[in-house]
Amino acid sequence: MYCYPEDKVQHTACNGSSGLGLYSRPFIESFEETPMLVAVLTYMGYGILTIFGYLRDFLRDWKIERCHVAREREEQRDFVPLYQDFENFYTRNLYMRIRDSWNRPICSVPGAKVDLVERVSPDYNWTFDYTGKVVEGVINMGSYNYLGFAENTGYCADASAEVTMKYGVGVASTRQEMGNLDRHEEMEELVAKFLGVESAMAFGMGFATNSMNIPALTGKGCLILSDELNHASLVLGARLSGSTIRVFKHNNMQSLEKMLRDAIVHGQPRTHRPWKKILILVEGIYSMEGSIVRLPEVIALKKRYRAYLYLDEAHSIGALGPGGRGVVDYFGLDPRDVDVMMGTFTKSFGAAGGYIGGRKELLEYLRSHSHSAVYAASMSPPVVEQIIASMKCIMGEDGTTLGRDRVQQLAENTLYFRRRLTEMGFIIYGNSDSPVVPMMLYMPAKIGAFGREMLKRNIGVVVVGFPATPIIESRARFCISAAHTKDMLDTALSVISEVGDLLQVKYSRHERLIYDQIQD
Amino acid sequence: MAFEDVWKKISWLYYQYILVTALYMLEPWERAIFNSILISVAGMAVYTGYVFMPQHIMAILQYFEMVQ
Repeated sequence: MYCYPEDKVQHTACNGSSGLGLYSRPFIESFEETPMLVAVLTYMGYGILTIFGYLRDFLRDWKIERCHVAREREEQRDFVPLYQDFENFYTRNLYMRIRDSWNRPICSVPGAKVDLVERVSPDYNWTFDYTGKVVEGVINMGSYNYLGFAENTGYCADASAEVTMKYGVGVASTRQEMGNLDRHEEMEELVAKFLGVESAMAFGMGFATNSMNIPALTGKGCLILSDELNHASLVLGARLSGSTIRVFKHNNMQSLEKMLRDAIVHGQPRTHRPWKKILILVEGIYSMEGSIVRLPEVIALKKRYRAYLYLDEAHSIGALGPGGRGVVDYFGLDPRDVDVMMGTFTKSFGAAGGYIGGRKELLEYLRSHSHSAVYAASMSPPVVEQIIASMKCIMGEDGTTLGRDRVQQLAENTLYFRRRLTEMGFIIYGNSDSPVVPMMLYMPAKIGAFGREMLKRNIGVVVVGFPATPIIESRARFCISAAHTKDMLDTALSVISEVGDLLQVKYSRHERLIYDQIQD
Repeated sequence: MAFEDVWKKISWLYYQYILVTALYMLEPWERAIFNSILISVAGMAVYTGYVFMPQHIMAILQYFEMVQ
C-alpha cells in the first residue's frame, strides 16, 4: 500500500481526549499541491484564451463574424440591455469551444457500459448534428451508479414494472392532498429502518430536499455553520432560510471549533443575544474533492457546544460502510447522534429523490411545515418501488447476499482503482476509501482533450472545470461502480495510462514503484 | 524509417505545445495568427542576436582587458 510523506493519519486533539479513541481505522487523505510550473502554464493558457476571447467578441460586435449568442432585437437596441454580455464571456469563449464533452445524449441504461448517440459539429460546437450512428459499449466511468442498481433487468426492475401496472406512473397530487400511497408509507418505514433512525420522509427531488427543508428548520436569529465546499442545494437552502451563515474551512475542525466558540461567546452580531440555534451543515462525501467528513470530531464538537448537525449523505449512502449504511456506519458511530440525516436515492439506489431521517418529533414537524411536502407532487410509484427493492437488497431482506456482495465489490474496486492510479503517477485527491476519484488535469486545453481522447478509445468520463472547481484546478472525475468487473477496470486503467502519457498529465512528484517502471 | 520516427516525435511535440498554450481549443485561423506572431517575434530576436552578438562579445572582452 502506498504511503506519502505528507499524508497524515489523523489523530484528533479534541477537548483533551486522546486522539486514537475517536477513529477506529486510519483516515488517509491526500491533496497533493499543484506543481509551480503547471500553475504558471495554466494561467498562461487562460491568458491566451482570454485575449482571443476579446478578439472574437470584437469581431462579433463589429459584425465581421456571425453572432450565435442571444441578442436583443434591432428595435430594442437602445433600451436597457436584457442580456448581460460580459458575464457570459467565459461561456461564450471558453466553454463553447469544448462543449462536446458535456451533455452527451445517452440511449441505453447507464450501467457499467452505456451507448452514446454520435454527434458532429460543423461550426465548432455552436450546433450539433446527429450522424445517425450509436457508439455502443462505452465503459461508463461517470455515472453515480455506486452499487450498480441502474439496470433494466433483475429483481428491482421487475418489481417496478409490476407496480406500474397496478398504480400507473403519475400520482396527480401532493403528499398532503391525495398523493400519499401505501407504497410511500412502506418506503419511509424501510428508510428509517435502514438508517437506524426513528422516522424518515422522502421527497421527489434531492436538490429540493435540501433547499426546501433547511428554511423550515432555521430562520432569522439562527446561525448556520457551513463547510466551504458544500453543494449548491445546501447553500441555496441556507440562504433561503434567512439565517446568518458563516463558512468554515473545508473539513477543518480547528476552524469549526473556533467559529463555535466565537458564536457562543459573542452571540448575535449587534445585540449580543444568544443564538436561537446553531446548525452545522456538512456532507458525507464531497463529490468534487473525494474527501470524507471527519464525522467523529464533528459529533464530539456538536455535543460539547450544544449545536445541531445536518449531514447530507448524497454520495456516501450505500457507498460507504461495511453494511452500506453510509458514513455513520463507516466510522462505527450511533445514528442517533446526527440530528438530521439527509440523503438522496439518485446515486446508490438507482432511483430519484431525497429523504430526511431523524427523530419522530422532527419528522412530524417537517411533514406539515416543509415546502416540498406541501406543494410538490409526490414520488412516482415505479421510482418508489425501485427504492424499496434496492434497499431490501442491500439490507439482505430479499433472501440473497447480492447486496452485501455489491458493497464489498465496490470497496475492493475503489481500493484497487485508486492504488493503480496513484502508482501510475497521476495526482488524485481525496480519501483512499471514497468511490469518487478526482484526477487533476489543470490546463484548460487538456480538459477538452482528455474527454475527447477517452471517448475515441471507448471510455466515457466526466471532466469538470471552472466554475464548479477553482480556476486552475480542473479535473476529471471517475465514479467507481460495483457493476464494474476487474477486466473493465483494467481496460479503463490501461487506456487512462495511455491517454495520460499522450497528454502528459502524470504530474505527481512522488516516487513511482519500480514495478511500474519495468512495465513501461 | 528514421524519418517517420522523427516526424512522429515532432508531431507529438507540436501536440504538447498546442495543449500547453491552449491553442488546442482555438480555430485554425486563430492558431495561424498566434503562431505567426510568435515566429516573427522569435525570428526578430534571433536575427538581432546574430547581428549584434560579435560586437557585444568584443565589448565584454575589452572590459575584462583580455584583448585590446
